[in-house]
Amino acid sequence: MIDPAEKPAADDELRQLLDRRADRVRARPQAEGDESLLWYAEFPLGDQRYALPLAQLRAAVPLRAVTPVPLSAPHVIGILRFQGQIISALSLSALLGGGGWHEDPAVLLVVDGGLGRLVALDCEQIPKPLGIPAHLIEAAMADGLRTLTPLQLPGLPRLELIDLQLLLASPPHEAPHAG
Amino acid sequence: MPVDPLLEQLLQGFVDESQEICERVTRDLLELEKGAKPKAAAGRAFENLLRGLHTLKGSAATLGLDELADVAHLLEDVVAPLRASDRLPTPIADALLRSLDAWMSRLRATALDQPLPDLAPTSELLRATRTLASTPAQAWPDRAPVTTAAPEASKASPPSPVAAAAPASATRAGDIHITEDPGDATWRVSTRQVTALRHDVERLREVRLRLEERQRELEKGLVQLARIGHELRATSGSGGRPQLPPQTAETRSVLGSVNRGLSSDIEEASDIVASLEDGLKAISTQPMRTVLEPLRRAVRDLARQSGKLVGLSVVGGEVSHDRRVLEALRSPLVHLVRNAVDHGIETPEVREGLGKHAEGALVVRVEQQGNMLFIEVADDGNGIDLDKVRGAALQRGLYGAEELATLTAPQLQQLIFSPGFTTRAEVSEVSGRGVGLDIVRNEIQALSGQVEVQSAAGQGTRFILSLPVELGSSPVLVVRCGEHQLGIPTMAVESSRSARGNDVNRGKPQLRYAWREELIPLHDLGALLGLRQAELPRDDQPLFIISAQGRRLALAVDEVLGERELVIRPLPPEVRDLPAYQGAATLARGELVLIVRSDWLASNELQARIAAKVPAPRALVVDDSLTARAMHRTSLESGGLIVHTARSGHKALEQLRHASYDVLVADVRMDDLDGYALTREVRARPETAQLPILLVSTQEGEAERRRSLEAGADAFLSKRDCAAGRLLSEVRALIAARLQRTRSSTRHPG
Repeated sequence: MIDPAEKPAADDELRQLLDRRADRVRARPQAEGDESLLWYAEFPLGDQRYALPLAQLRAAVPLRAVTPVPLSAPHVIGILRFQGQIISALSLSALLGGGGWHEDPAVLLVVDGGLGRLVALDCEQIPKPLGIPAHLIEAAMADGLRTLTPLQLPGLPRLELIDLQLLLASPPHEAPHAG
Repeated sequence: MPVDPLLEQLLQGFVDESQEICERVTRDLLELEKGAKPKAAAGRAFENLLRGLHTLKGSAATLGLDELADVAHLLEDVVAPLRASDRLPTPIADALLRSLDAWMSRLRATALDQPLPDLAPTSELLRATRTLASTPAQAWPDRAPVTTAAPEASKASPPSPVAAAAPASATRAGDIHITEDPGDATWRVSTRQVTALRHDVERLREVRLRLEERQRELEKGLVQLARIGHELRATSGSGGRPQLPPQTAETRSVLGSVNRGLSSDIEEASDIVASLEDGLKAISTQPMRTVLEPLRRAVRDLARQSGKLVGLSVVGGEVSHDRRVLEALRSPLVHLVRNAVDHGIETPEVREGLGKHAEGALVVRVEQQGNMLFIEVADDGNGIDLDKVRGAALQRGLYGAEELATLTAPQLQQLIFSPGFTTRAEVSEVSGRGVGLDIVRNEIQALSGQVEVQSAAGQGTRFILSLPVELGSSPVLVVRCGEHQLGIPTMAVESSRSARGNDVNRGKPQLRYAWREELIPLHDLGALLGLRQAELPRDDQPLFIISAQGRRLALAVDEVLGERELVIRPLPPEVRDLPAYQGAATLARGELVLIVRSDWLASNELQARIAAKVPAPRALVVDDSLTARAMHRTSLESGGLIVHTARSGHKALEQLRHASYDVLVADVRMDDLDGYALTREVRARPETAQLPILLVSTQEGEAERRRSLEAGADAFLSKRDCAAGRLLSEVRALIAARLQRTRSSTRHPG
């Protein structure tokens, strides 16, 4: 039981306690936002690191059994079978404007390019899952949708987020090749 | 009635089809009897009803079931005068339903070769009903029965509506029948289940390929172990057997046993996949002739009936297609063929008077081009009489006289697809009710297809049905051009032979081949696809005579791998628009093969491209990475070079044996023969000793460059440099330097 003589002090302490609690509660949405992660598949291509939404990645398969398609566009590596479908294998490097590569691509990423349209994109290594705080993604994309959205994560090299729908909607217009 | 053996197998299908139609017709009859529909909707229901009856009549006549065709004709007679009404009187509905029951009973008995119910009472009933239907609506009794003897067949049938009498084997939309034993039990499987099964088989095939890959890895390990054993033997000096530590030797033995077991399992898996695929193909596809052959009987009977002489030719009947598509095509084709005989082809006297052969020609041609199936029904009759079309359109109130005067011939021809349209003043057994071509159009549209008509007065009419196809198999000739396997539709191949120097004419601007006293263009398939440089065919090189679009050409390939029955599937959207290909098919080992479109080979566009080809420097790009090949090609072609590719050093050497290049761009790191070894081999050959060589590598640095130059290369670039745009400038510099050297040596020989 609190002594009545000490009541004002107790009230102050209580008020301060409640104020601190209120501050914490007010701060919670921010803290929760920090913990909300969006998952991406991150992989290198040449000197650059790229990421695409993990939900759109269906499989990573070895770059084998691809049939070249003579006379197709230069960014088309060929066609392959994936789970009963015939899909196209595309050169990500060519789609992104030919930024070069360190290792010859050995992996195909089978991705959902929208509305269930599957395509395979080549890359140098099997991607790693990377959780990125949602508010950072939102901030990076605040300027609107782009094929590549740069994102700087603390302590990591710059990342380019790929918008697959935009990437596949506007392939480079180049002369056809013969496989 | 004895059943024609040819038609026996078709009868069961017709029973199912008729059952479906009778169900639809019954639904319409009952709705119309209720009289609850607005006038316009009732009109549509009457049109549907008539279409169903017309299809029954046409199909029955096609199969030679004349009594059934007659009853169906009477059924039409009863319904036709009611078109303008908004309801169907109950006595008439009763008579129609009972007659349909009798009709189905007779058909089922025919199919089962059982005693046939007599259709005479049914015909009598329908004639009596026809009289009633022709009287003004006010005179119709409400529920009084039509006074005639009940048909015996109807008495024998269950009193339930037709829908309830459906046999267990009745086909539902989207079902596939699997016959276990002809004439015996059948299973009903939904197409969705078959599609799912097909996807599973595809996956099984992929699993088999992965198993093969695992086995290759295992074999590599075994080879490695064997090598270690040999090395140990060499270092220990003990003669005789390799000396592996006992545990390692045992492990090797176990792995060897696993490898043999795996081989056997893979073989069995391959057999299972092949067997499943064959089974699936048998279930889901059928040759077109199953639909086309019965037309012969229909044409013969109809021609005799109308006093005409008609010869039917069927082209493309061996092409197989999805059963569902074929079933849906049955009725439209019957309509078109009957239409051609009845409306198009003239009597022998008239034809002779016009200077034509007494026998009219009717051709049904089937062709698959890419993902589209084209069916052409063409006759050499009198064509569509546009004056009659105008008259009928005016009479039916489709257009006013002024509007009709402004319509072009193709627009007028389109009017024949209007519901109820006919140019016939009188109704015959075959046509004249205006029910037919609108059905054809509706049924083809239901398959996402289109119908076109082309007609020339006095020369004939051609209907072209085009519809997309997803599943189908065709005979394909699989050939090899360099490292590429390609398929050519066998239908387009007129002949195959080996090249002989005497038959090749080296004229300008292109090679020609002497074929049946004709000089036809001779092309290299690989060169047409931009894979390599065109060259004179060597003696005994395989050649094909291709016939497409009314043209013949000879096509040289490196090897014929054989004829296969392949399911041609559409290409994915990214490459679907390429005119060179019909689609792709999967070979036995799971690899995809592109199917070249024969009409593309003969197209004006390709011929013009060949004629317009200008000389340009040629580069051979050698890299085991598909991506690298594609990137280097893009870069060099943007600079105007002609680029050919090879995926290995050995393939490059083979290519260099047959063609000359201005520069060689090779990857350093390749299996079997790396860039250094390739460079040394090229330098060692007198004919390529001076060929400029640029080596490229994912590795960077001075050591890599030095090693490349020591091996005999003229230059070195990292792949990063290549992608940064330096490849083209470096290649140009090498070509220019070579040209300079050649000029110098020409000026200062020796």
